[in-house]
Amino acid sequence: MITLERQRSWFERQLAAATQSLEQAPPWLKTAQQQAIESAVRLPPLNRKQEAWRYTSIEGLLRNSFAASDGVARQREIQLDQWLLPRLDSFRVVLVNGHFSAQLSNLDELPSGVRIESLRTLLGADPGMLAACFGHTARHGENIFTALNTAAFSDGLFLRIARDVELQRPIEVIYLHSGNEQQLMQPRNLVVLEPGARATLIERFIGDASAPYFHNNLSEINLQRNAELRHYRLQQESRNAWHLGNLYLDQHRHSDYRGATLAFGGAWARTEYHLDFNHPHANCDLSGLYMTGDKQLTDFHLMVKHGVADCRSREQFKGIVYGEGRAVFDGHILVDRKAQRSDARLSNDNLMLTRNAEIDTKPQLEIYADDVSCSHGTTIGELDQQQLFYLRSRGIDEATACKLLCQGFAAEIIDGIAPEPLREHARHLLADTLDRVAFTGAGG
Amino acid sequence: MNKVTENPMLSIRGLQVAVDDKSILKGLDLAVGAGEVHAIMGPNGSGKSTLSHALAGRQGYQVTAGEVLLDGHDLLALETEERARLGLFLAMQYPVELPGVNNMHFMRESLNAIRRARGEEELDAVAFMKLVRTKADEVGLDQQLLKRSVNAGFSGGEKKRNEILQMALLEPRLAILDETDSGLDIDALRIVADGVNALRSPERAIILITHYQRLLDYIEPDVVHVLSDGRIVQSGDKQLALKLEQQGYGWIAGESAA
Repeated sequence: MITLERQRSWFERQLAAATQSLEQAPPWLKTAQQQAIESAVRLPPLNRKQEAWRYTSIEGLLRNSFAASDGVARQREIQLDQWLLPRLDSFRVVLVNGHFSAQLSNLDELPSGVRIESLRTLLGADPGMLAACFGHTARHGENIFTALNTAAFSDGLFLRIARDVELQRPIEVIYLHSGNEQQLMQPRNLVVLEPGARATLIERFIGDASAPYFHNNLSEINLQRNAELRHYRLQQESRNAWHLGNLYLDQHRHSDYRGATLAFGGAWARTEYHLDFNHPHANCDLSGLYMTGDKQLTDFHLMVKHGVADCRSREQFKGIVYGEGRAVFDGHILVDRKAQRSDARLSNDNLMLTRNAEIDTKPQLEIYADDVSCSHGTTIGELDQQQLFYLRSRGIDEATACKLLCQGFAAEIIDGIAPEPLREHARHLLADTLDRVAFTGAGG
Repeated sequence: MNKVTENPMLSIRGLQVAVDDKSILKGLDLAVGAGEVHAIMGPNGSGKSTLSHALAGRQGYQVTAGEVLLDGHDLLALETEERARLGLFLAMQYPVELPGVNNMHFMRESLNAIRRARGEEELDAVAFMKLVRTKADEVGLDQQLLKRSVNAGFSGGEKKRNEILQMALLEPRLAILDETDSGLDIDALRIVADGVNALRSPERAIILITHYQRLLDYIEPDVVHVLSDGRIVQSGDKQLALKLEQQGYGWIAGESAA
């Protein structure tokens, strides 16, 4: 059982191991970090009594301690080429173990009006800019991982696009883990799109090290009036990794967020989207795909708050669970009394390939307005025997038939990835993962 | 007047099949020679679709007795895909939809699986595309449908044409068309029939399973069989089909009971 004392002592150990960012912090940041620490030790323990943590245990995480990361020292060892998508022409930010690597990044020829830099660089060069947009939406008082990140983030992406600037080339953030020490990586990203700005942001989480590590990632995204962000996340952490992603999305009037989030890796991977509509006529379109197998847990939590009228949100998540994999989905749409004419849809469809797989899915609609169009639904199914028979009757062996059907199931999500090289890459990732599944017997 | 077929391509002897422990086929005998077209007709519930599914090896169709040989191979001992690779093709009455599975990709996987089994080289994407486009034109299938998901949102006629296209691509030894005529208007029926007729060859056998005589106006069978209560109760030439059209199936039941 996770008690307050255990959780607190773990938090303090992690904090002690990762305080290097505190030393150079300006006073306002030190204050914010101190507040985060104070709230963290008061937060209730994340055990099964908490609805948001009922199906996802942090027991394993608390049993482990993580050392501070040593990204800068590692960057020479990295063979980045193996991870690049040759046909993806992007501005590239590479974070090694949570630290910005200027050597591996590619930020040449940034157009005017576009700022892409490391959070640490910004902290030294333009702390006023950071102060203006830091911590607006990420509420550390509610979440111990947000508190830990706030108190001791390592580095991260700072992206700001000026009014009406449209950035054609996508911005690609690659998080790499390297090394054998049990490390804590805590990148923190700040994304601000000024009114009318448009951009595509791609995040790729890559880890091939065998040692366990904890990636505690946090992003604050601020889309101002009429801004448009296309946002894609591909999580392929090491199979030994803990991955926690907290995304805070703040959308202003007529802003448009469209994203796809794909989770393949990690031993324990949880992603939380916190979406707040505080201005009318904003749109959020988020889709997700997870594929979860032996010794893996994948968890998506969505908290969508329609606080004002006339916003539209779409969340479509699909999961394939195999072996003894476990997936958790919790999608919560809250429509405030004032939020008339809200248009919200949420769905979660799951394909269970084996009897030993487990899925806990919970879509929730909480509506206090009376003039809304909202729906939610969830399904859990197996591969369809008629479809399998059809494919096999055409000479296709059972394993290939199963794979084709899984790819068909996922196609709706992957097809929504706009940059073609990334879409192709996602298809390959899915195909490679499906190749690890023992399908024999699914049709028998 | 049953046509006597020596060394038949397909030989079915005493086939008994149960579905959900209910006996459907009750000792069916049938021999089909290379180059022949046989029609199997019969009232609803006589076992027509059970026969086609049992031959293709569908789960849930439990063979309780009998023997089926295709070119001397014991068909019943094989998995569904192995039967297909031996040259058995079943055009289905209700082709299933495969959302998200690209039609062209599916057909290439299928053809290459069968080519591998025949010891032929696989076709690359370019060669396959050329081939499938030619064949699609031959069976009157809109090429746009090749880019879509298999059968998803296709009309009834488009689904049937998609089946005929697969048959044309795979060039089976034995093709079974299970009520391929159902739900087709007269133009679609003609196109499907033309597709089947184009595949008639001394190397190939075709079994048409149908409720109505109409299809046989377009595809002339060598032999017509009447299936009733799980057995073939009458065999004859195409005149038998015309008689069934005029008199219905009632007289068959009376005769076989007598």
